[in-house]
Amino acid sequence: MKHLWPILGLMWRDQRSALMRGAVLMAVVLAMGAALLGLSGWFITAAAAAGLAGAGATFDVFRPSALVRFLALGRAAARYGERLLTHDATLRALESLRLRVLGAHLAASHDRMLHIRGAQALNRLTADIDALDGLPLRLALPLLSGLAVLAIGLAAFWALAGPILATWIIGGYALGALLIARNAVGRMLPLSRRAEIAAQAFRVRLIDMIRARGDLAVYGQLEKQAQSVQSAEDRRLDLRTTLNEAERRAGMKLSFLATLVASGALGLGLAAAQAGTLPPALGAMAFFVSLALAEVLAPLRRALSDLGRMVDAARRVGRDLSARPPASGADHDAPGGLIVSELALTRPGARAPLVVDLSLTVQPGETVALTGPSGSGKSTLLLALAGLHEPTAGRILLGRVPIGDWTEAGLRRALTLLPQRSTLMAGSVAEALALSGADGEADHWAALRAVQLDKVIEAKGGLTARLGPRGSGLSGGEAQRLALARALLRHPKVLLLDEPTEGMDDATARAVLTGIRAFLPKAAILIAAHRPAEIDQADRIVAL
Amino acid sequence: MLSILAGLLWIAQAAVVAQALGDMLQGQQVQPAVSAILFALLGALRAVLTYRAETLAQTAADAVISGARRAIVLAEAGRTDDNPFGGAGAVAALAGEKLELLGPFLTRYALARARVMVVPLAILVLAFWQSWAVGAILLVAGPLIPVFMALIGLAAKEASARQMAEIGTLNDFLVERLSALVDIRVLGAGDRVMAGFAAQAGDLRARTMAVLRVAFLSSTVLELFAAIGVAMVAVYVGFSLLGTLAFGTWGAPLSPQAGIFLLLLAPEFFQPLRDLAAAWHDKAAADAVLDEVATFSADAGTPLPGRGARVEPLPGPTSVRLLGCCLPSGMVLPDLTIQPGERVAIVGASGAGKTTVLRLIAGLTLPDQGEVQVADQRLSADTADAWRARLGWMPQAPHFLTGSLRANLTLGRLGDLPAALRTAAVDNVALALPRGLNTRLGETGGGLSGGEARRMTLARAILSAPDVILADEPTADLDAATADLVTKGLLAEATRGATLIVATHDPALAARMDRVVDLGGAG
Repeated sequence: MKHLWPILGLMWRDQRSALMRGAVLMAVVLAMGAALLGLSGWFITAAAAAGLAGAGATFDVFRPSALVRFLALGRAAARYGERLLTHDATLRALESLRLRVLGAHLAASHDRMLHIRGAQALNRLTADIDALDGLPLRLALPLLSGLAVLAIGLAAFWALAGPILATWIIGGYALGALLIARNAVGRMLPLSRRAEIAAQAFRVRLIDMIRARGDLAVYGQLEKQAQSVQSAEDRRLDLRTTLNEAERRAGMKLSFLATLVASGALGLGLAAAQAGTLPPALGAMAFFVSLALAEVLAPLRRALSDLGRMVDAARRVGRDLSARPPASGADHDAPGGLIVSELALTRPGARAPLVVDLSLTVQPGETVALTGPSGSGKSTLLLALAGLHEPTAGRILLGRVPIGDWTEAGLRRALTLLPQRSTLMAGSVAEALALSGADGEADHWAALRAVQLDKVIEAKGGLTARLGPRGSGLSGGEAQRLALARALLRHPKVLLLDEPTEGMDDATARAVLTGIRAFLPKAAILIAAHRPAEIDQADRIVAL
Repeated sequence: MLSILAGLLWIAQAAVVAQALGDMLQGQQVQPAVSAILFALLGALRAVLTYRAETLAQTAADAVISGARRAIVLAEAGRTDDNPFGGAGAVAALAGEKLELLGPFLTRYALARARVMVVPLAILVLAFWQSWAVGAILLVAGPLIPVFMALIGLAAKEASARQMAEIGTLNDFLVERLSALVDIRVLGAGDRVMAGFAAQAGDLRARTMAVLRVAFLSSTVLELFAAIGVAMVAVYVGFSLLGTLAFGTWGAPLSPQAGIFLLLLAPEFFQPLRDLAAAWHDKAAADAVLDEVATFSADAGTPLPGRGARVEPLPGPTSVRLLGCCLPSGMVLPDLTIQPGERVAIVGASGAGKTTVLRLIAGLTLPDQGEVQVADQRLSADTADAWRARLGWMPQAPHFLTGSLRANLTLGRLGDLPAALRTAAVDNVALALPRGLNTRLGETGGGLSGGEARRMTLARAILSAPDVILADEPTADLDAATADLVTKGLLAEATRGATLIVATHDPALAARMDRVVDLGGAG
């Protein structure tokens, strides 16, 4: 449960007024519903009493009947407003939650960034956020407005029908609902968590089975894997059955509670009316209102059934959101390239160091190629130079200042890394290039020319040509060159390129490398090179 | 049935209340405790009946969902090609979250529908019996509701579909940005991306709200009719009891009991209709899922020969023969005979059928025409499992299962793991991992580079000292040094006596085989 608070707190902070409006209107709807039924009951009973007493002609019928009509119409109207406002609040909360998740991940470690890129992690995260969408609409707002209505009800009953009926009805509902909810939550939370784990196991095993189907078949493990998928499903079904049973029991208990409170109100009301301590019409009203207040309990059951998933999701999302923003430093504008001295690097999670005692410099205007077999640490070194990987020892100086002393923004202005697998997003070519911060059309074309992509983009319809999700519509080599053009548009002092000509033929690769140098004549360029074209164009070679 | 009964029990509860209140008003002595207990007992019975009805509905729903899930798992385990429905993620999403959406439909909607058929009708009959005027009010407000319901159903279905699509879009926005986190970070574009995302989300919200305004308006009409119906009943009953209105009953004036009874019944007349309207979203969601299940089942695919289980190896020599086999494109493959212990490279342009040849030899696919002979017998569904028990298999794109590196390498088989790791030149890689062979691998490979992962699949292939090794592009995308390590590992196995069949683009690798089979140009 405690995991829900921070998320609720965030939503509250971001969307206070929208949530408040929703809660208030929700309470108004509940209160009007109770008032409508109570007034109708009172009206009929009072009318009957007056009719029997032969005082029908003097009974004021117009005010109560007008009020009944007003409440009926007003309730429908309030309900419309309530649904609009609460949905608006939910959409806003959902929007701000997604923004915060995005923001937190932008400040996360490089490892975490790579992890979240995996399909399963992404799927998990979106499912979690979807689960939390219901937090205000199905849990927080109904609970809040329900409590408010019970409080109003207590005051109204106390004034109209006396303390006994007021305590019985309101106290009964509040205490009973609390006990039932506490009991159900205690039972359901752990079960729900285990059911979720089983569902996740089912998912992961099924994906494994489909992806590795051929391998599993050859090694005679396909049948076994299918059984293990099914066993996860069986376990989930078992847990889910128990869980649903608990939910239905809670529902039944809530229904018992409503009946008990209403029947008590009926008995007490009748007794009081017969004893003459309460007008019969008010006794009837107490019963009718207690019936209507059962509406307060209705959302509780739905909330109980969703609570487990929400808590689980809140725990994970909360963990993501607690990521710290990158440490701040100062801005620097010192001249000079990149100086690395006595650097040691270890791959995340690995024990043995990947690189030890590495020293190198890249002067402005110089191109240095890093060579070495795959797995020798070229990419990790570039990540470290870009401040995305913490070295185990040594110093990295950019413009004679350690990179740790730069602000994030300053570092990004001075230095750009083209990662090994760049990802493009859906949108136009111009939008993809504008991610660099440069949005002049002439600049865009110049950068595209430098990477030999201008003709390709012209053929596709110019800068407004649309790219599909993850840049689909471009070949691997073209996507790589677009990412490269985007990096060039940053006009960095230091450019780090990780296998930049991957997926290009030799002639294109050479032309692209020449184009890069011509576009950034003064930049210090360090290339993790894996093919002759990249090595040939370097001024110097550093072998790892 | 039980649900209907529970709905009808309210009528009895209403009668108890009406009788008690009416009697009290008429000055007769009533027993408050008796009325209260009777009301409570009926209410308890109603709660129990509802619970039983829900249990039955839930059990039925679980059976449907679980059955559909089992069918998907079996279908996926029994086919050899990918379902055109979508990749592993899409199938898992269908079998997982999406099938769950059938639950609310099967439980809530079905029960609400059952109640809507009977309960309002029963109340209508009782209303007419007490007072034709009240019956008429309900009759007028009632049938209008199904008309509105149909309209609302249509509107709500469209609105919810649009809304789902738009919330889906918001998720897609987020997913895309999360996939590109590294790029956004190194471009220093965090603030720009956040601002863009906020603008898109705000825009999306505005459009969604415009849709919802219409959708909610139509359901408000339903509420309005219900509210007006109840209010009119209340006002009519009130005036009748005062004696102001003298029409609408069958002769005798309306008694207080009947009046209160009618007032209690009126909301219950509309309640099943409102429940059904509320469950309409469930139906729309379920319909969408059922459509997807139909698409999924539409393509039965090519059945996998054999069960994919571990059995005794097929006896006989390790000869392999392809006779008159065809590609799916219709192109005929050359006949091919591979002797035990031979080292053969299969080359050819992309699409010439190199991978298909390996899959045919591995018994993962049976040829439409012609036949594959292994160990001097025809490879069929009956012999496929036993033949595969003699194979080592190196796929083009390795996919590691979620589990430890050791489990991924052994896959339930016995063998000399350290020796296999040495031959594949990955013993040091395994040692350098944070938890050695116990390191958990997942989708992202647990920190293995592409070349390392490739060599791990080599170690996996040679673990059980197989008689035949099939390798699909074992050196593609590797640098020269790593490619050489993999080639040496494969050749070491051939020296041991294994038959080696590689499909490759790599002339260096092909040159080191005994024989090169060229499948020719693009197929």
